This record gives sequence, C-alpha cells and structure tokens, in this order.
Amino acid sequence: MFRTFIEPFRHPYPKFDQTVQAGGTEGAGAAGTGRRRKAKPKNWSAALGRIWLYLAKRRLKLMLVLLMVVFSSALSLLGPYLIGRAIDRYLEGGNDGQWVQFLLGLGLVYLLYSLTSWLQNIWMIEIAQETVFRMRYDLFSHLHRLPIPFFGKRQQGEIMSRLTNDVDNVSSTLNSSAIQLFSSVLILAGTLSVMLFLSPLLTLLTFIVVPLMLLGMRWITRRTGPLYKERQRNLGELNGYIEETLSGQRIVKAFSQEEKVIRGFRERNEAIRDSGFWAQTISGFIPKLMNGLNNLSFAIVAGIGGILAIRGSITVGVIIVFVEYARQFTRPLNDLANQWNTLLSAIAGAERVFEVIDEEAESKDESAAQPVAEVKGAVSFANVDFAYEEDGDTLSDITFDVKPGEMIALVGPTGAGKTTLIQLLSRFYDPTSGVITLDGRDIRSIKRESLRSHMAFVLQDSFLFQGTIRENIRFGRLDATDEEVEEAARLANAHGFITRLPGGYDKMLDVGGGGISQGQKQLLAIARAILSNPALLVLDEATSSIDTVTELKIQEGLQRLMQGRTSFVIAHRLNTIRQADSILVLKEGRLIEQGSHEVLLAKGGFYSSLYYGRTDAEEQDQQ
Amino acid sequence: MAFILSFLNKYRTAAVSALVIMLFELTAELIQPYLISKIIDEGIRPQQLSVVWLWGGVLAASALLSFIAGVLSSFFASHASQGFAYDLRDRMYSKVQSFSYSVFDRFAESTLITRLTGDITVLQDMVFMSLRFATRVPLVVTGSVIMALVVNVKLGLFLVVTVPLVLVFAFFMIRATTRQFRRAQRRLDEVNGVIQENLTGIRLIRVFVRMGHEVERFAKVASRLMADTVAALRLTETTTPFILLTINAAVLAVLWYGRLDISSGAATVGETVAVINYSLRVTGALSALSSIMAAYSRSSASAQRVGEVLDTASDELVSGAEEALGKRAPAGPSAIQGRLEFRDVSFRYAGSEVKVLEHISFTAEPGQTIAILGATGSGKSSLVQLIPGLHRPSEGSVLVDGQEVSSLDPSSLRRAIGYVPQEVILFSGSIRGNIAWGREDASLEQIRQAAARAQIHETIEKLPQGYDTLLGQRGINLSGGQKQRLSIARALVREPAILILDDSTSALDMRTEAALLKALEEIACTTLLITQKISSTRSADRILLLDEGRLIASGSHEELLASSPLYRRICESQNQLASDMPASSSADGEEASHVQNLY
Repeated sequence: MFRTFIEPFRHPYPKFDQTVQAGGTEGAGAAGTGRRRKAKPKNWSAALGRIWLYLAKRRLKLMLVLLMVVFSSALSLLGPYLIGRAIDRYLEGGNDGQWVQFLLGLGLVYLLYSLTSWLQNIWMIEIAQETVFRMRYDLFSHLHRLPIPFFGKRQQGEIMSRLTNDVDNVSSTLNSSAIQLFSSVLILAGTLSVMLFLSPLLTLLTFIVVPLMLLGMRWITRRTGPLYKERQRNLGELNGYIEETLSGQRIVKAFSQEEKVIRGFRERNEAIRDSGFWAQTISGFIPKLMNGLNNLSFAIVAGIGGILAIRGSITVGVIIVFVEYARQFTRPLNDLANQWNTLLSAIAGAERVFEVIDEEAESKDESAAQPVAEVKGAVSFANVDFAYEEDGDTLSDITFDVKPGEMIALVGPTGAGKTTLIQLLSRFYDPTSGVITLDGRDIRSIKRESLRSHMAFVLQDSFLFQGTIRENIRFGRLDATDEEVEEAARLANAHGFITRLPGGYDKMLDVGGGGISQGQKQLLAIARAILSNPALLVLDEATSSIDTVTELKIQEGLQRLMQGRTSFVIAHRLNTIRQADSILVLKEGRLIEQGSHEVLLAKGGFYSSLYYGRTDAEEQDQQ
Repeated sequence: MAFILSFLNKYRTAAVSALVIMLFELTAELIQPYLISKIIDEGIRPQQLSVVWLWGGVLAASALLSFIAGVLSSFFASHASQGFAYDLRDRMYSKVQSFSYSVFDRFAESTLITRLTGDITVLQDMVFMSLRFATRVPLVVTGSVIMALVVNVKLGLFLVVTVPLVLVFAFFMIRATTRQFRRAQRRLDEVNGVIQENLTGIRLIRVFVRMGHEVERFAKVASRLMADTVAALRLTETTTPFILLTINAAVLAVLWYGRLDISSGAATVGETVAVINYSLRVTGALSALSSIMAAYSRSSASAQRVGEVLDTASDELVSGAEEALGKRAPAGPSAIQGRLEFRDVSFRYAGSEVKVLEHISFTAEPGQTIAILGATGSGKSSLVQLIPGLHRPSEGSVLVDGQEVSSLDPSSLRRAIGYVPQEVILFSGSIRGNIAWGREDASLEQIRQAAARAQIHETIEKLPQGYDTLLGQRGINLSGGQKQRLSIARALVREPAILILDDSTSALDMRTEAALLKALEEIACTTLLITQKISSTRSADRILLLDEGRLIASGSHEELLASSPLYRRICESQNQLASDMPASSSADGEEASHVQNLY
C-alpha cells in the first residue's frame, strides 16, 4: 500500500542533452530532430498584416465587435462594483433611497453584459469563419495555378497539413483567442484602475502576489521547456517506430518477430511515460500556483481589508469589490499566458499558408496567345533546350518531327528527360531555347488551357476520384451524355467489367479507386481519355504497374485509343512499343537515337543494348 | 469507455489520492466566503481586530496548504494518467502484434498509428484533467449550494432553485452543440477529402483542364463547412451569457431579500455577502462546463476507436500467436524438411463472399521449385501466405511435412520459412542489421553468404561503410532492385526449408535474376516463386497457372506450352523477346548509381 502510494514520486527525471537544457529556449532545440516542430512565426507583423487584410473586408462588423468588447469589459467591471455599493449604501448603511431603481439598474447592467458578450462572440464567429473560408478558398484555387514542379518538390502530407491543420489553427484562434486577448487586456487595465481608485494601499498589498506569480512561472517554464521538448522527441521516436513496424507488419509476422518488436516498443513507451510524467506534473503546477495565489490574495484582501475597515479607511463594500476583482485579474493574466501561445502558433500557421499563396503561379499566357479550335496533331521540336532552375536535370538540343496520327515512343534510363519532354509539350514548363510547334504553330502562341484540352493523358497510376464510375469517366469531358460515356467504356474494353459490378456505372468508388483492380482502373482511365477525344495522347508508363497477364487484356483498348491520334508513349517494357512509328532514345537529356524498332536494333546502339540487356529493370520515373 | 477506464484500476491508489486532495483543496476554497462573512459579522462590525487577524490567518494558511496539496495532486494525477496511457499503449501494441493478416486489411496502417498515439494521448489528457479539474465543476456547484444553505437557509434557497434550472438548460445546450459539432466535423472531413483528392490528382486535373470545376466543388463544401461551424459555435456562445444572466437574476433576488432580512434581523450583512459570493463561484465553475463537455465527447470518440482495436474478436487473431508472444522462438536448426501439400484448399477473407482461392491442390517435394503465374488478383499472394499460417484456409488443408499448418507451433514453423513479400519492407538501421533481422544470432560470415546468394554482396562492399551502411532517413537510399535483393538476403540468412518469393525479382534485370535463380538452385529448400516472367518459370519443377483463384493449369514449362492456351499466349507476348536474346549485356552499373542518392 505504502509503496504504491509513493510510486508517483519515484519516476526517474529524464536525462537530456546538457546543451538542450543549458541552451534554454529555441536555439538549441532547432538542431534536434523534432520533425513537426511548431515553428515560431518568422515575421509575424507581416503575417498579422495579411490576416488583417482578410478581416478588413468586414471592417464595419469588426468595429462593432471591438465596441462590444469594450462595453462588455466595462460592464463586467461595473457588476462587482455596484454590488459593493449596494452593500455599503443599502445593506450596511440602511439607506433606503432609490433601492428599487438601484436594483433595476444593476439588473440592466447584467442584461447588457450578457447581451454585449453574446453579440461580440456571435459576430466575431461570422467574421472569423468568413475569413477562414476565404483563406481556404484562396489557398486552394492558388494550388491549381501553381506550376506542377511545386508538388514534386514537396511531400503531399506537408501541403495537406497547411490546407488543413494550419488553417484550422487560424480558425480556432480567430474564433475565441483574439477577442479574449483583447478583453483580457481591457479588463486587466480596468480592474487595476478601479482598484487604485478605491484603495491604493489594498491594491498594492493585493499585487504582492504578482512577483510571486512571475517567479513561480519562471521556475516552472524553465523546467517544462526542455521536458516538453524531450517528450516531443520521444513521441516522434515512438511514432516512427510504430509506423515502421506496422508498415513492416507482414514481415514481422512471417518472420515471427513479434516479441522483438514489442520489446523495442516497450523501451520507447517507457521513455515517453517518464518524460511525459515530469512534463505533465510540473506544468500541472501552473493552475495550482494560480489558484494558490488567488487564495492568498483573497486572504490578504479579507484580512488586511478587514483591519483597514475597522480603522474606517475603507468600507465592507470595498472589500467585496476587491475580492471579486482580485479573482478577475489573475484570470486575464492566466488567459493572456495561455492565449499568447495559441496566438503565436496560429500566426505561424497563417505564415505557412501565405507562403503557399505567395508561391509564384504558372507563368501567364502570352498576351498574344489564342485558343485553337481544331488540332491535327503534327508536333515538332526544333533545337529545344531546357534546364530546371535548381538542378542540372536538362534537355539539350532536341529536334524531331511527328506527323499527325503517328505513335512515338520515348525510351531511356531514369532521369533521361522523357517526362520533362512531355511536360514541355503540355507547357508545364517552357523551353529555355528552341521552339515547339503544334500544326506548325509555336505552342507559346496557344492558350495553355486550350492546348491541354486537345491532349489526354493516361498515367502510370491512374487517379480516380471519389464518385461513381460514370462520373470518373465523364471527367474526360464534362458535357458527355450517358450514351457517350458508355460508348467510350465499350471502346476501352471496360464496359464488360463495369456492368458486372454491383451497381454498374453507378458504383461508388472510394478515394484512390479502392474496390477495383489496378487493371480495371487503367481501363477506366483509357475510357476517360477516349471520351475526351484528344488530338494528342500521352501514355506515361500507362501499363507499367500492371502485370503482363493483365496487360494482354488492356492492349486492345489502348490500340483503339491510339488510333488516329498522335501519341507519345513512355514505357519501360520495350516489347510494348515495338510497333511505334518512331522511337526516340534519350540519354542524359540528349536525343541519341531515333527511328523504328527494326532500324534501331539493326544499328546496334544504345537502344539495342537496352532492349537486350534489361527490358524491365528500370525504375519508375518519379516526376 | 468503461472498459478503457478499467485500465486505470492499477493506478487507483494514485487516482484516489488525487481526488481526495482535490476535495481538500475545494474545501479550502469553499470555506472562503463563509470566513469572509465571519470577518464582516464578527470582526468588522463589532470592531474586533483579533477576530479579523484570526480568520485572515486561517485564510492565508489554507491558501498555502491547498497550494501544497495541489502540487502533490499533480504528482498523483500525472502518475495515474501516464501509467494509464503506458499500459493502454502497451496492451494495444501487443494486441496489434497478435492480429492476423485479415485484421490488417480492416484497420489501415495509418488509422492504427493515430489510434496508438493521438487517441491514447487524448484519453490520457482526459484522465489527467478529470483527476484535477473536470470533477471540480460538479463539486464546486454542489458545494457552493450547500455552503450557501449552511450560511443562510432562506437566501441559499435562491441558489437551490436556479442552479438545477441552469443545469438542465446547460445539459440540453451541450447535447445540441455536440450534435452540431459532429456535423461540422463531418463537413471538415469532406473539405479535407476534396483537398486530398486534388493534391493526389493534381497533374490529371491540370492536363484535363478541370481546375475551375474542382475549385467550384471545393467552394461548395467549404461554404457548407463555414455555415455549419458558425451554427455550432453560435450555440456554444449562447449558452454562457444565458447562464450568467440567470444566476445574476438570483443575485438580484438575494440582494432584495437580503436587505429585507437584514432589517428584520433574519440575516446579517456578512451572510448576504457570502451567499452572493457563492453564486458567483457557481457561474465561474459552470462557464468551464462546456469546454469540459467538449473535451469529454472528444475523448469518448477516442475511447471508441481504441476500444475497437482492443475488442477485435479473438478468432481473428492468429492461432496461438498470443501465447507465442511470451516465449522466444526455439533456437537451433529446425526439423522441418520442406514437404508441402495443398489439399483442396479454398480461401476467402473474413466478411467477404468472394472466394480468393478455390479448390487448390498440389504437392511440392523438399528441394523442388514451384513457379506460380497469374494476373493480379488471381490469388497468388494469398496462396503463399497460407503456408506460414498468416491466413487460415476456409476449406481444405495445407500441410507441411505432412502436418496441418494450424497444428504446428507458429513460431517454429515460421522459423523454417523465408518469406520475401511483394512490397519491399526494410527497417531503418544498418544493412547488416536488416539482413540479420530475421535471425539475430547470424554471424557476419552467414550474412555475407546470404548477401552473395542474393546477388547483393558486391554492391554492399562498394558502399562507403560496407555492411554497416545505414539505410533510410539518415542513411542511403537503395534502388528498388537493390532493396529487393536485400530482402531476399534477409530471408536466405535464416537458411529456410521453405523459401517464398512473392514477385520479388520484378525490379531485377535479366542477368542478375538469372544469377539469383541459379544461386537459389544450390540451396536445398523448397521454393515458391511468384513471377510474371516466363524466363523465371522455365527452370521450375512445376508451374501453377492461376486465374481468378482457380488452378487452371499445372505442370512443367513444356507440358503447359502443350496444354494451356493462356500459358501459350503469355509466352508469346514475352517470347519474342526471349528468342531474339543474345548473351545479355550489362546495365547493372546504372542501377548501382542510385546508391549515390543520399538524403
């Protein structure tokens, strides 16, 4: 019994890196491994200014809110003050003049207080949520204007977190913390002035607790800072371990290593328990300290106030007012401390949101750019060079011609520039020098959207949206009729399997297209491309995530799709591109060979060595 | 929830201590207005300085005592909550480790991670908060009402009347807001879903020029989210001003009747003041109510998610796995020879109607190589996973050395099996550690030998730190083919009697693959080789051709060429390649260059 009783006091205090502890605050921790540290805002006046611009769209309402905050803060001070007056004048003094009027006045104060604080919150919520909506909307629509490489450089989860967590953070702060912060300051100042007005001596004595509070807080936060950092580190480690072992679960089971991973888990679990214990215990002192000091100031007001009252320098009513006020002023102080942190993290969140909005959008179409109505599909590259800004991944001196309806295969090792070439054609980038033409027109003179509307893509991992199969096919051309959708599915060899599914064309697909096989997904993507009826077609590793047996079943649909269209095919299984009209062999950004399968084989160059050496060993393109 | 809270049982001494200390703190606080009425009535009014000193001193002492108590309670509460979370995590992780494969299909990895970390942290915070703050609210409210009655029965009655009224109101409001918040949460999920989808499909949206369409869709869900959030928050924000107003009305009544009673002598000034003070404390406590209820409803959702994992029915666990957790796998060479037999095996996943495998029968003698060929979804992976008992057949039986797999001790059976899954799974740590992962007592010599057989030894030797090179976040990034060979080495180092390669050579070039297959022939183990390539089925003793869960053909390469039209078609699609193959040239150098990509 006794042992379990003293157990809480026997947790080992976590040992952490001396540099972290001694270094105190941020600097030392930054070198650590903390993965998702909540960064402090870098330039928070700028971020605040941006938020203000959003808020300012509802300037009038915001002014009203601020007015209400001023009113409600004043009324919250007036309530206790009036009670003190009531005690002195009517309860103690036995004065009977205007008692009813007085009570009615007090009632009115209470009513107005509830009303103003209600209004300020209701209005602020509307402003805040509208602001958040607009931020979300701006962020989201800006995403669709960003150049594609932006997404390649960043992890999807990171962008996702800006759109969700960071925006939510701003949302909840604007909802409440902003107002609370403002009214805390007002109430603090108001309380202090009224207290000084009523009794400077008693005010001074009440404020003895403030230095105590500061000292106590310092003692606590000095310890909790490194402790929380340590706990965060342990948590990160635990998360990483869980992630790794769970994603390797199949191996753990098959190798019968459950006991080993549980042992590893326990170690990390214990570490987080110990650092968590101390972090929680010591930070748990804060409310107790606040409470204790509140009680102490209560004792001071009651005791010293009592003595002063006996001496006649203050009244009982003043004591009561002080008792209430003393309670009121530690609360805003506490609130200030709490809200400050959430405010900082919200500003940091807003900053991350603005960072994305400030990313440069895809360059605008040239002013002379025109839409094109009809495209035959003749493509030519003339001395095209291209270099990414930051790395040396380049294309140099690419020249080739494609006649309408030809099938062109792009072949070469990873990083040779196949995908980049396609991205130039679809104008995700523009060449550094050289000209790309479509039907003899420089593609820079064609509006991007118009250019792309004549192209269709079947990618390696054909993405399906959450929605019905019909909607997913119709994504290729939004105004297509049901008949056209089904016709496209028939041509793609997808109609058969769709009608066999429960629900047929109206079967709902999950995000990512769960519930149907990889091969079936590709068939839907082909149907989608057929429906959009493009002049140019790009198959970027369209069959590489499909096994050869499934591929046999898909080939037919692909053939129909390519019929009569200029198509560019990137494939690493070279046997699938033998029938191409022309094969472009790329290596390190150069077009080193060009010609039909037979011609290139006969030549005995790089293509033939690729063809014989490793037909399917190549890694998938990452872009 | 109750089940989750039973984890607190072990820490009941600390939990109860924390609660008792809180009661003590509370007493110190609730006595304050009472003492102030004493100071007014017995000190100030009769001008008794000593009485003021006395009660003032008692107040100061109680403040100090309650502070010390508060510090102590922090230890107890955090011991209980951290211990609770530790046990819960430990229990849950062990439970997860005992899951069979089919459970993993039900719980996505990402949800298991959030359940293990996020949800348990929420519960832990809830326990900590309950032990220190949440239980305060009802206690402060009832305590204040009782103390008000003690001070002055008649004036206290005003509180007795208003407080239940307010409580009922608060209860209904909280119920309504929880509903509203749940709706808002669903809206938020919708918004996040659209974002997720757009990020994943961004390239496609761009090339199909559907940006406007998507932005419109987003605006629609986002404005619904806005509307529902405003509605939910509006309800919350209405609750507190209304409660305040009601209690303040009671204060007005106390003032009115207090004055009447003072003049009639039924009450004193101090008593009236004390009752007013108690009313104000009730409002203070109640204003924290809504946030506590919100936290509670959040934690009950977490409790449910955690409970789902812990409640997973025991028949979904791998047989014997729970018991096997306690003991280590027996050391020493296994006695298993590697004779394998499938007798009329059918299999479907729990809760699914569709049979993944139907009436599969075949036999493999020790040392034989069986190649398995078929389209994605034809049941190849499910078939091999029956052998180590990762799934159990729905009908028929799988026998190893003539014994039913389910009757064998899973850990000693699996010790005899080398399994290379389709997707490569490596752990952070050194290359050596990864190979020896499946066999902790492996010597460096054995590790090298396994690596050599897996055709990865030379590549490793070329690395800066050789076998001690680190993988993953802080180490190097291997190419897909190198990773595959490493995971093959991990299986080989166990010197298995049965080797399962689930499409594990897909990223290897032909030359390396041929060398690997040749090296495997030298090892005397029964090999199951799932593959897409005719080139690797040729040398197999038997080829099983699967289609939609059925074994449609079985036999040697020549036999199948003669008997199976599908096999012939597959061959034809790949054969042209194979027939005009000269002696292969090397492209392995290029693959090795991937090694240079450092993080």
